[in-house]
Amino acid sequence: MSFILGLLLFVVVVGILDARLPWPSSTRPRAS
Amino acid sequence: MAVVHATEGVVIAGHFGFAAGVKARAPAVPLWALMLASQWLDVVFVPLLLAGVERFDAVPGANPNAYGGAIIYADYTHSLVGALVLSAIFGAVAAIRYGKHAGWVLGLVVMSHWVLDVPMHRADMPILPGNAGGLPRLGFGLWRSPAASAILELAFVVVGAAMYWRAALNVAGADAAMVRRARFCGVAVLASGLLTLALNVAGM
Repeated sequence: MSFILGLLLFVVVVGILDARLPWPSSTRPRAS
Repeated sequence: MAVVHATEGVVIAGHFGFAAGVKARAPAVPLWALMLASQWLDVVFVPLLLAGVERFDAVPGANPNAYGGAIIYADYTHSLVGALVLSAIFGAVAAIRYGKHAGWVLGLVVMSHWVLDVPMHRADMPILPGNAGGLPRLGFGLWRSPAASAILELAFVVVGAAMYWRAALNVAGADAAMVRRARFCGVAVLASGLLTLALNVAGM
């Protein structure tokens, strides 16, 4: 359960939350 | 059930913690991809376990579901050469979408799984896939001391989350709403790591 829960939490939940932060992007030009 | 049990006794939270730390140093690489990369060897291990290609045995006298209580014969996914191949494939695919730098970073994070597993495993990690040639298996066996193993994983979780948290605050800038969002993400990374580690150590 810890492995599957860990994947769900980190890859899906935290991944979605983190994507809302203004990190520089490898695929899009940075906003000016 | 075998899959569930086999993935309970392995290193989980420590790899996530390492990936969180990498995000602080490679902010352009998506966090979800770093997290997935950090577990890629175990993700591939699951179908091979189901197919009977890889297996795990209980340590004599130990509960196989206990934290570090299994000898894991992941002879393809967790062999040195197998891990290098899986890292190269993951990195190459990622490079198509995210560029060469991200591909290298993600490939190295996949390989970090093998490197971080070596001190924990009980000399069950072969050098060549399928343990070809019968070369000595690798692993320093820190799992013989579950407490020391858990403390080491906890250190990875806390340090990785702290590095991520600091980087998230830096990228949030002065915008109050973004700072709140960054703090929430930092809490989420730390809490997820602690929860995953606690469940793992509890054999769940």
